[in-house]
Amino acid sequence: MSQPPIIRIRGLSRCFGTTQALSPVDLDIAPGEIVGLIGPNGSGKSTLLRCLTGVVRKDAGDIMIDGEELTGDGVNIRRRVSYSPGEVNTYGELTGTGHLTWLLRGRDQATHARAHGVAEELGLPMRRKVRTYSHGMKRQLLFAAAIAPEVRVRLLDEITEGLDPAMRARILDKLRADADAGCAVLLSSHHFGEVDRVCDRLVFIGEGKKLSEESPETIAARARGLATFEYADAKTALKAHEILSAEGVDADPRDARLLVRLGDGDPQAALALLLSRSDLPAPTSVIYGRLPLADLYQELYGREAC
Amino acid sequence: MERTLRSYLVPALCYALLLEVMISAAILYWPNFEENIDVYGDLLPFESVRRMVESISNTGVAAYVNLQQFYKACNVLGTAAAVFFSVGAVAGEANRGTLELWLSRPVSRTRMLLERYVVGALAVTLPVFATSATIPYLLELVGEEMSLSGLMLSSVHQSLVLLVVYSLGFCLSTVTSRPMPVALGLLFMTIFQFSIYLVMEWTHYSWFRLADLDDFQTILRTGHLDASTCGPLAAASALLLTTSLYLFHRRVP
Repeated sequence: MSQPPIIRIRGLSRCFGTTQALSPVDLDIAPGEIVGLIGPNGSGKSTLLRCLTGVVRKDAGDIMIDGEELTGDGVNIRRRVSYSPGEVNTYGELTGTGHLTWLLRGRDQATHARAHGVAEELGLPMRRKVRTYSHGMKRQLLFAAAIAPEVRVRLLDEITEGLDPAMRARILDKLRADADAGCAVLLSSHHFGEVDRVCDRLVFIGEGKKLSEESPETIAARARGLATFEYADAKTALKAHEILSAEGVDADPRDARLLVRLGDGDPQAALALLLSRSDLPAPTSVIYGRLPLADLYQELYGREAC
Repeated sequence: MERTLRSYLVPALCYALLLEVMISAAILYWPNFEENIDVYGDLLPFESVRRMVESISNTGVAAYVNLQQFYKACNVLGTAAAVFFSVGAVAGEANRGTLELWLSRPVSRTRMLLERYVVGALAVTLPVFATSATIPYLLELVGEEMSLSGLMLSSVHQSLVLLVVYSLGFCLSTVTSRPMPVALGLLFMTIFQFSIYLVMEWTHYSWFRLADLDDFQTILRTGHLDASTCGPLAAASALLLTTSLYLFHRRVP
């Protein structure tokens, strides 16, 4: 990160009762950077984003965004950033136009015009009541409200959740263009594969702690060293594990699945070995290079994803 | 603000219409009531109510109007409206899952809450003033009269009582996500308070003592509000609003 950070978080923490939702977290994000917050449900991603906007009060720590320190209820920050919440509960009685206007309260008329432009570009039926919208359409409405303000920071919680791949790609492309114009974007997702292609950096978070920061390239390289063989049942997976272990292949059985660590990054040898055994049924599927977040988590951090 | 106004408008209009229908019917019934007032007095089961009828018998239509408009309609219907308009203010948003959306806009929490408080408070109190303002015209239909200024002063007193109930519901709304149990609890308390008002031994423990016929008759007689009652009522509402603001600033979606 060559430029000074536009988002600077130091020692941010938050408890809910006896649950430590966020352990002290430090994070810097530079202008023009897209950072993905990756973690399973309940890992603290949304709490982090809510703390940054003052929607949830921090217990401790310092938050500086676009030269402004978060104070009080965070309205000074909310004026300087755009934020899209993870929940898509909306006011069904409002029309798309009415809802967008409601969402953009406190923003200038140019922002309103841009948001309506984005909504129309996304093909949203703006005259219809929001209660008739699908989950994905509501998500797009929130996105239109979040992308329109001319701010230097966007905080987006699960912005691609529930969208079809084509729409997800359009939205991510818009975010990439926005970042290329100098905007810093912090977006969360519990689907690694959904957002990794636009992220400059990935921050893995679990149990309220920042586990690591990695680039998509290093993550992809690590994922390529892993393969998952799925079997019909756990017993078969266990047998396959015994066969591979006998041949010195590093593998972990997980219920009906077998996670195989590939020394050379090629799953063919391990697969050939298993297929050569007539007493072992063939795996029902082989996943290679694109592991589910839960497996990647277990592998990277030695802990179960929720 | 616009959405808040719109969501309160129709219920507030219905509440005002109901108050107007009730006072219109009561005033149009006045000649019949006046003619049979002694019979009604004998029929009533509660000593406290008999005393009200006695008061009407002694002072005439003003006491009857005060009883019908303020003690009966505004106290009962107004309290229900105060509960209805208050408990959903924040808890309703949490219940429908829109609280985060509401809090995430670039508007301060103080402003958000005050806007909602004011709109709800107006929805509770304006119908009291509006329907009281029609009373002199309705009384003309039955050949009676009453000063508008006295009715407006009584409306202020009544509104201060309703604002306490409203502020209490509003305060509870800032800490809960389930408006229905809170509303039912407050309505149960209201019915209980109204019930004990009718029992002579317990009547002094009822909050309806703060807005009963004696209070409104005193306002009419003296021509001014009783500061020893109105002051603490206003202070209680202010305290509850301040508490609501404090709690709302710490509210988590």
